Amino acid sequence: MERTDRRTDPRRLDNQPYDESLEVVDSEEVASVSSPTPRGQRQSFSRRSREGRGLMSANSSSDEFEEDQKPQRTKEPIGRQPGASPNEEEEEEEEDEEEEDDDSDEDDTDDDDEPGQAPEGAYDPADYANLPVSTEVKELFQYITRYTPQSIELDHSLKPFIPDFIPAVGDIDAFLKVPRPDGVTDALGLLALDEPSVKQSDPTVLSLWLSEETKQHGATELKKVTSVASPQSIPRAVDSWVESISALHRSKPAASVHYGRAMPDIDSLMQEWPGELEELLGRLQLPPARLNCSLMQYVDLVCALLDVPVHSNRIQSLHLLFNLYLEFRDSQHFTRRTQT
Amino acid sequence: MILSRVKPAVGVETQVSISEKKKNQTKVPRLEEYLQQRDYLGALTLLEFQRNVGEKEEHADLWIGYCSFHLGDYKKAMEEYKSLTMKPDCPVDVWVYLACVLFFLGLYKDAEEAASKAPTSPLQNRLLFHLAHKFNDEKRLMGFHQNLEDVTEDQLSLASIHYMRSHYQEAIDIYKRLLLQNRDFLALKVYVALCYYKLDYYDVSQEVLAVYLQSIPDSTIALNLKACNHFRLYNGKAAEAELKNLIDISSCSFEFAKELIRHNLVVFRGGEGALQVLPPLIDVIPEARLNLVIYYLRQDDVQEAFNLIQDLVPTTPQEYILKGVVNAALGQEIGSRDHLKIAQQFFQLVGGSASECDTIPGRQCMASCFFLLRQFEDVLIYLNSVKGYFYNDDTFNFNYAQAKAALGNYKEAEEVFLLIQSEKIKNDYVYLSWLARCYVMNQKGRLAWELYLKMGTSSDSFSLLQLIANDCYKMGQFYYAAKAFDALEKLDPESNYWEGKRGACVGIFQLILANKESKETLKEVLPLLRNSGKPPG
Repeated sequence: MERTDRRTDPRRLDNQPYDESLEVVDSEEVASVSSPTPRGQRQSFSRRSREGRGLMSANSSSDEFEEDQKPQRTKEPIGRQPGASPNEEEEEEEEDEEEEDDDSDEDDTDDDDEPGQAPEGAYDPADYANLPVSTEVKELFQYITRYTPQSIELDHSLKPFIPDFIPAVGDIDAFLKVPRPDGVTDALGLLALDEPSVKQSDPTVLSLWLSEETKQHGATELKKVTSVASPQSIPRAVDSWVESISALHRSKPAASVHYGRAMPDIDSLMQEWPGELEELLGRLQLPPARLNCSLMQYVDLVCALLDVPVHSNRIQSLHLLFNLYLEFRDSQHFTRRTQT
Repeated sequence: MILSRVKPAVGVETQVSISEKKKNQTKVPRLEEYLQQRDYLGALTLLEFQRNVGEKEEHADLWIGYCSFHLGDYKKAMEEYKSLTMKPDCPVDVWVYLACVLFFLGLYKDAEEAASKAPTSPLQNRLLFHLAHKFNDEKRLMGFHQNLEDVTEDQLSLASIHYMRSHYQEAIDIYKRLLLQNRDFLALKVYVALCYYKLDYYDVSQEVLAVYLQSIPDSTIALNLKACNHFRLYNGKAAEAELKNLIDISSCSFEFAKELIRHNLVVFRGGEGALQVLPPLIDVIPEARLNLVIYYLRQDDVQEAFNLIQDLVPTTPQEYILKGVVNAALGQEIGSRDHLKIAQQFFQLVGGSASECDTIPGRQCMASCFFLLRQFEDVLIYLNSVKGYFYNDDTFNFNYAQAKAALGNYKEAEEVFLLIQSEKIKNDYVYLSWLARCYVMNQKGRLAWELYLKMGTSSDSFSLLQLIANDCYKMGQFYYAAKAFDALEKLDPESNYWEGKRGACVGIFQLILANKESKETLKEVLPLLRNSGKPPG
């Protein structure tokens, strides 16, 4: 069925330009120059190209279809003239037309959903033939069949199915891998997948730790300082950094500070006060932080009370002061005493 | 020692492990400890620290290369090996290592050049084998294939080529054979699971994968595959949960497969963030381009989808399908027969292939192919075979209803048309006109007329009127035929609709006489006749 469609159908188109082209002589001259011989031989194929059929109907596999289609539509009128004499062609044409009529009917039944036979439920004047009406009215009824409704072809539109998104699983280990330099087999990709563990050390933390551990300070300058682009969205990154750095600091001995001027050592500062002072302190209140004085003055006051000398730089004095405090706080002797 | 490597390091944060080491042993950890935990970042930090301090491990450069390679930091590995090759005492094997690294960087030409400087070795042969595959050089591929020996690495390399060429069953056969010989090669389970995934056997894939995850629960590749299986078996939410789990257990400095994870998060979230994430991943992850095309198609940006895919030479069914879909969409949008022709060919190719003919996408392809050919009986055969999967799918229903209507099955067509929810489709003239026809053919002229009333004035509404007028006339629904002809007459006084209108009015008269239409209707009909410019017949 398809084949007959293809063969006969297009001829109708071929014929049209031929019918219309009156200046046969001229066009023959042109054609003999411009169109190579194979075209004449391929006439019957070339005729297939035809516009106006339903999209690509009836062409499921023909190569010629594709080849012919584009170039020929333009050249057609001239291209196909060399060869057969007009008379022969005309005879053919007549035959063709007959065939074509038959086929185009069949065509319609194929392409259209409304074939020759009426669809179910269509108007049928016979249903009303027996109405008890006057002849006048019956004549009036003939107006109904006098108009033949047009068959209107509707377009189709294929909504292409859009595939699902496609997840990526990656490829399989191809065993194009670098072996261990010491020649030991690592069995990567065999016993376990050749992939890094999800737990990777943080290079910054690790190198800080290494330099601490080996006392090789300065050997590794901080190569890179990582920054977290949007801390609010990944608090985990910040937390883990803080956590690991404080772990690192806990493992370190306290940093020593070189004072600008000589300072008494902690032990001497921790000596007992004279008995009178001790007694006095028991009765008096220490100057509270609310005292109406500047911070500087308050610092001087407290340092003086605790025998911490204040030179030009109060920071160093405060450092000593807090060290003293830490020493008391961490001293087991004193903690036990306060508890009891 | 080897077995301990398989042992998972569950839930132990790196930082904690450092302080633990600190407590237990104050001395610096050895390289071997990091390697065994596959903590390559730790190993690299140690190696570089030692290099800076001056106490060098033997072959430190090679170790740095090794660690960078297995970390997936191929750029760093390349730099390391390149600088090694500059040195006079460079071991010859470095060339093949460099070639491997270049291969993973996608620098295939450079990889081949580097490999050619290396002495012959099984690794070199495997690499050239894979390069021949990349270059599509079948002849050389066969040559290197013959050099492969019956040893584990070579066989696994061969299996991976099978996988790359979509010969999954062949790959599975190799893995199963090797697994019989070496029961403890657990990684092979994951490879088998990957093959089953590609074969669409997601539950089988899941089963095989579970064996590996039981022993190594925090494997990135395995967890990602599990997420993908969940995506196919359940939905994006289930898949995302699996991936979230992976992100939570991995430390912040973990970079491996980050692109893959970002890519898949977009997929699992139904395309969310596609425009930010996917473009830089194009040609890095093969699926990224396809997913971006799918994203554009979903946004109805057909032209952009076409731009992305037009130069892609399809090799996998997914690529053929997508090229077909894009060409079909574009061809219809701009009315190009060439695009439709390509679409139809690709659909036919996929739908007719042995591997896809029984898959849902394969059936959809055949249906689309026949739709483009306007062979609606065949369209229906294929659509019927998969309709259970698409009950509420507007796209499917639109095509399905059109096919039914085209074959004159107006009753079912109407039902299916009415299932469609998408406003875009419902405003499409193809939808409106076919639904109107179904209404009329099902003796529901009033509903068709209402469709017309709801439309704004346009050339489409004019066409719809003609459809209603003529189809109603044909079906003996003269009242709406008369109304439609009357409206046509008003819109287009030049043309002659008189005959149709007159016939329709007489038709109404006849219906009234036959007691099929109420007498009241006559009151409406008379003004219609009077309105006409033509003299009443």
